[in-house]
Amino acid sequence: MLQKILNLFKLFKIENPKGVIGLNKRNIELIYANNQRKHYQLADDKVLTKEILHDNNIACAKTYAVIRRVGDIKKMWEDCQNHQALAIKPANGLGGGGIMILKKDGDGNWLKSGKVISEPQIFQHITSIISGIHSLHSDDSCIIEECIIAHPFFAEIYDEGVPDFRIIMLKNKPIMAMLRMPTSISGGKANLHQNGVGIGVDMETGTLTQVYDGKKYLDHHPDNPEKVFGKAIPFWKEIMELAVVTSKAFPLNFLGIDLVIDSKKGPQIMEVNVRSGLGIQLVNKNGLGNAISDNFLKHAISDHFKDSLFTNKKMVN
Amino acid sequence: MKTYNYYQITIITITLLALISMAFKTIPVIKYFDDFNSEKSYEITYRYFFKTNDGKTRIRAFLPKNNTRQRISYEAFEGTKGITFEKKGENNNLKGVWVSHEENKHKNISYQFTFEGKSKTIDIPDNFKTHKPIYSDYLKSSEHIQVNAPEINFLAKDLVTEAKNDKQKIQAIFDYVYNIPATPIITLTDAVTVLQQNHASCNGKTRLFVALARNLGYPARIRGGIVLEETNKRTSHSWAEVMINGNWVPFDTLNNHFAHLPANYLELYIGDEFLIKRTAGIDFDYIYEIQRLKNIPFLKASADNFSKIFPLSLIGLIEKDIIASSSLILLLMLPIGGLLIAFLRTVIGLRTFGVFLPVLIAFSLLETGFVTGMLLFSFLILFVGIVSRPFNKLGLLHTPKLVISLSLMVLVMILGSYIGMKNNITWLTALTFFPTIILTISAERFSTLITEDGFEKATSTLLQTLLAVSVSYYMITSDWVLSIILLFPEIILFVIVLSMLLGRYVGLRFTELFRFKPLLNFKIT
Repeated sequence: MLQKILNLFKLFKIENPKGVIGLNKRNIELIYANNQRKHYQLADDKVLTKEILHDNNIACAKTYAVIRRVGDIKKMWEDCQNHQALAIKPANGLGGGGIMILKKDGDGNWLKSGKVISEPQIFQHITSIISGIHSLHSDDSCIIEECIIAHPFFAEIYDEGVPDFRIIMLKNKPIMAMLRMPTSISGGKANLHQNGVGIGVDMETGTLTQVYDGKKYLDHHPDNPEKVFGKAIPFWKEIMELAVVTSKAFPLNFLGIDLVIDSKKGPQIMEVNVRSGLGIQLVNKNGLGNAISDNFLKHAISDHFKDSLFTNKKMVN
Repeated sequence: MKTYNYYQITIITITLLALISMAFKTIPVIKYFDDFNSEKSYEITYRYFFKTNDGKTRIRAFLPKNNTRQRISYEAFEGTKGITFEKKGENNNLKGVWVSHEENKHKNISYQFTFEGKSKTIDIPDNFKTHKPIYSDYLKSSEHIQVNAPEINFLAKDLVTEAKNDKQKIQAIFDYVYNIPATPIITLTDAVTVLQQNHASCNGKTRLFVALARNLGYPARIRGGIVLEETNKRTSHSWAEVMINGNWVPFDTLNNHFAHLPANYLELYIGDEFLIKRTAGIDFDYIYEIQRLKNIPFLKASADNFSKIFPLSLIGLIEKDIIASSSLILLLMLPIGGLLIAFLRTVIGLRTFGVFLPVLIAFSLLETGFVTGMLLFSFLILFVGIVSRPFNKLGLLHTPKLVISLSLMVLVMILGSYIGMKNNITWLTALTFFPTIILTISAERFSTLITEDGFEKATSTLLQTLLAVSVSYYMITSDWVLSIILLFPEIILFVIVLSMLLGRYVGLRFTELFRFKPLLNFKIT
């Protein structure tokens, strides 16, 4: 509508040759059309997500404990003592807040970023998670899980923080993917709007493409001059298979899957999202609209689907 | 797709319903359509009471005439028996003359009319063309306007020594007369006396201004009338007019209107006259009754007739004081404001604090004034947003944390109002007009946004909220929008229809055109 109005003025013409999808179209045609609201919580609550992943034997970090009440902290924590490394997370965290990674040293002390952390300090952190500080809810659950050790592939690009792959799935088909990497100015976060960078992925070949920092395109990570364009992603075939299996396990037909590659266990699902961001289009220099038609035109598609996505007749207001 | 059918059916049904209901009113609206676009409308009644004398008793008052900025309608004359009424033209003025030949009788007469007025502002050039010879009468000296008196002559020359052009000269004498202290003297004061006393009412100031203007060679005259307010009054008003490039330009040296005439000025006569003249020695009293009418700028009929013509409009509700007009306006404007915000968010792509906060803030601005309100609003959000930040770091639960912000907000409001009251700073006392709870939640959002996305993004959202507030404010203060919705409350149904269309809008938001610029083609045609 807006484009039409602007075009009416004959001042300039805005074309969308790549089928870029905006928030309105994403909400109406992708999220609302493919996901039922009652199922959103399966993605929003990480405890539920992990239950589904475990039930379907999908590769992901093992859940050691789910703590829902302050009174359970001590007992649950004792049950975790046989592990050498673990991650403590809020079930409804936002933007990676509240995550604590702990490793054991030779003397049996827990270390956080190389420094000894006392048991009361750990309990305090778990209590703060349960009381909902990281989630905007009035209360939350705390997940203690296996600590993923990132594959050297990531360190070759940039050796700090928590990188991950984001894969957009529609009706169990991978549509678009990117690798999100922290930078020296992103404070360990890999989100694009927190100064992380996105690296495009060529889904056919399983190789990295251009790096996008939110403003411009590069062919290398901003903190590492080595070129990443064309770099092969290990386990790419497995990653794609894992994404499809995961997508099938959830009753959500449009979802964003976050996964990492563990140095020993290979690809592992981290979390799934209902409201995937749209910056991935900029990272890949392609619109989701085109990516969807490319994927679905090659295969048989239902008439219903054709109706809602390839023609715009439904929405011409 | 089934839902799509329901969607179409709902839209068509609601639209038809609204259109049918509106169609009944459209014919009268077209019949009464008016391009005069008055800003204010009043009903004025002259009431004169007197006891007749021996022989002939005569009362004369000026009656209003139509011109480009005032329109007079629904004139009605009433009087006790034995009085004749006659309208007469005299020079440029219209007189009403009431005559009785009965002796020693108490009489009362009334003359009523409806006034619709527009304000007039004239942009005057730096230098004026020389006036035509027919205006030279307006340069002459008269009994009360002593153009050539030595004091006037000296003052006029003295005031304009610094002035470089005609406009500055007029400005200089205007400023001088305006700065003479005003007093409510009812007796006639001539130009020279005003100078000697250094205080005057409207008639004295006007005479002095006219005398100074004429002395400097600008044709000028006195204009008389009534400043209309919702009250009964006895005082009339006078101001001056100067002939500038073929136009009589108004100057009110009492109320500081330079080349401007407000919409509520009723123009009655030209020249150094009295509004009423009567046979000497009779008992006489008078009052001007003035009532504000709810006017609809694009319709001719006065508000009195609206409830008869348009039974389904809401004007009757306001007229009969069933609902206070301010609450009705608030009620009707909420959906319209909401639709505007929905448009700004889904089509333009503005990010705002709270969905309806901008509309509510815009309503608060009605009380505080636009600039003051905008500054106070930004201050409250910034201040409470930043002051409550240390509490974020204490690791408190969400709801108690919100109560702390709410308390801080209330404290700031009360403190501001108290300081404002103590020191007579009215804009500070306006703090309490804001919707506290919604404001607190916004301040809280602001504070969270700083933590999540940084100060820059949080301020950007605040600025976008301010933009949405300004647009909402502009709309809810528009007389046109208000009048249309009072006439056609069915518009609320269209709000539903438009929201349904907006709710299915899948195009890119305006801001997304910039976000996805690298992937789009912009072709200049």
